[in-house]
Amino acid sequence: MSAGRLENGLRAFWIVLLVFLYAPLAVVVFFSFNSINSSARFAGFSLQWYEQLFRNEAIVAALTNTVVLAMVSTIIAVIIGGLLGYGFYRYRLGRLSWLVWLIYLPVIMPDIVFGIAEMTFFVAINERLGILSPGLGTMVIAHVTFQVPFVALLVNARLLSLDPQLFEACHDLYAGPWQRARFFLLPVLRPAILSSFLLALTLSIDDFVISFFTAGPQSTTLPIYIWSAIKKGVTPEVNAIATLMIGSVFLVAFFSLLVQHGPSGGRPSKGGRRA
Amino acid sequence: MSVLRRETRHMLFTVAPGALFILVFLVLPSVYLVGMAFLSSGPYGLPTLPLSLQSFRELAGFGFLGWSPGNLYTLIRSVWQTLLATALVILLAYPAAYYISTRPARWRPLMLLAIVVPSWTNQVIRSVGWMNIFAPGTPVSDLAALLGLTAPQMGLFPSQFAVIVGLVYNFLPFMVLPLYAAFERLDTEQVEAARDLFASPVAVFRHAVFPQTLPGLMAGIVLVAIPAFGMYVVTELLGGGKATMIGNLVARQFAQASNWPLGAAGAMIMIAVTLIGLKVLRDLGRRLSGDREVVL
Repeated sequence: MSAGRLENGLRAFWIVLLVFLYAPLAVVVFFSFNSINSSARFAGFSLQWYEQLFRNEAIVAALTNTVVLAMVSTIIAVIIGGLLGYGFYRYRLGRLSWLVWLIYLPVIMPDIVFGIAEMTFFVAINERLGILSPGLGTMVIAHVTFQVPFVALLVNARLLSLDPQLFEACHDLYAGPWQRARFFLLPVLRPAILSSFLLALTLSIDDFVISFFTAGPQSTTLPIYIWSAIKKGVTPEVNAIATLMIGSVFLVAFFSLLVQHGPSGGRPSKGGRRA
Repeated sequence: MSVLRRETRHMLFTVAPGALFILVFLVLPSVYLVGMAFLSSGPYGLPTLPLSLQSFRELAGFGFLGWSPGNLYTLIRSVWQTLLATALVILLAYPAAYYISTRPARWRPLMLLAIVVPSWTNQVIRSVGWMNIFAPGTPVSDLAALLGLTAPQMGLFPSQFAVIVGLVYNFLPFMVLPLYAAFERLDTEQVEAARDLFASPVAVFRHAVFPQTLPGLMAGIVLVAIPAFGMYVVTELLGGGKATMIGNLVARQFAQASNWPLGAAGAMIMIAVTLIGLKVLRDLGRRLSGDREVVL
């Protein structure tokens, strides 16, 4: 029957799609172990690019910057964005209801326009007030700005799926705002907070354009380092750096699988807890 | 301060930090950028008074040497490459999303993860991957040369082909996810009914599957086409001069060419085209779904 043919066709298509998705990453990893600087011919296994990489102070500094930028901006964004998502859910904004549209702005704005707007703004402020000189600080600000909406949307979506009566129950039990946050909100929002943390983290790691335009001379990140290496035509360690970054992404992916399916993950486990 | 009701205080405590952050660090800079587009380009390309429309004239192609169509071509090319990449992404994402939705439930999260993980790596690294594949002398480039598609010893990049591949690669997951969500909710009875009525596969898709997956498709197009139109990295690394998009044109005004007001004017055009695109999509969605409101 044609249903079987369709099934086989789809399976073949799926395999081709996986090859398409993973070939570029696999090639980067493979040639990072090449003993010559070429991505056309594999001359033998070698770790020389990794040795060079860890001896290169500029790259180690870039690695540190990348990690600091991603972690600091993500933590700030999860706090601010979580509060924002909650505030939009809980309180009537009245004349301030237009504020809700704010969170769509960073979502629809092209990266490049975003980066340039930030950059010119920071330069203008820096000229007049002497603060916000380009560096890790400005990069963190820029990253937080594009992470906040996504966190707010995720937290807000989770709250909307809750039974509103739960809030009244808190009230009936004379829970103050802090108790409500500690014993009710944080536990029910835990999955949303975790997934928004991962999303914000990957948004930060994935970003190049906005970092590029808001960076200063001392705040090069790994993607910026790779970019300028390519532009200068000096590419020996590029595959090795890229491999390290791909490896860390796979770690995050593994972790997110654990979050979804781990013992205390988001959804109730199969057996149910009815006893 | 005690005049403020408790409720209002809590509201300010939760909403104010995020709202202020976006207001100060995004709305204000955007307003500044818009203002800059109407200034003149001073020494070193920095914005100065007087107010003028010079940037927009320049952007439209009027320079010292009369009119040149370069910038206009760049804009048209941006739209064309965005449309082409989006169409290809749709063609790949439909069967992928359908296939995932028909697998046993325990496999689906893993399959979705497999689609998404590459997009978690940095944009620059994804392009480096394709540079490795399309470089001169690689099996893929040699095959292309053998088939007479490129000159021998030439790589497949920089080229418009490489840019399209890069765009499709970058944005495929953003189409698969919403389409998958639509397929998961698909009312299979409609599809069965169509089959029972001996509808051809094309007719089944057109009348039973497509209308139901339309909201997912529309969401996917927004997620793919908007960032594709503003693409900078892929075009810069994989495309030569013949594949530059408007994002590159704008960025150049803040780097090498240095004409900030011109760049700001370009950024405004990008936003305008994006908004027009959203409007067109919205109308299209409405028309296709017979006047029902579709997302957006």
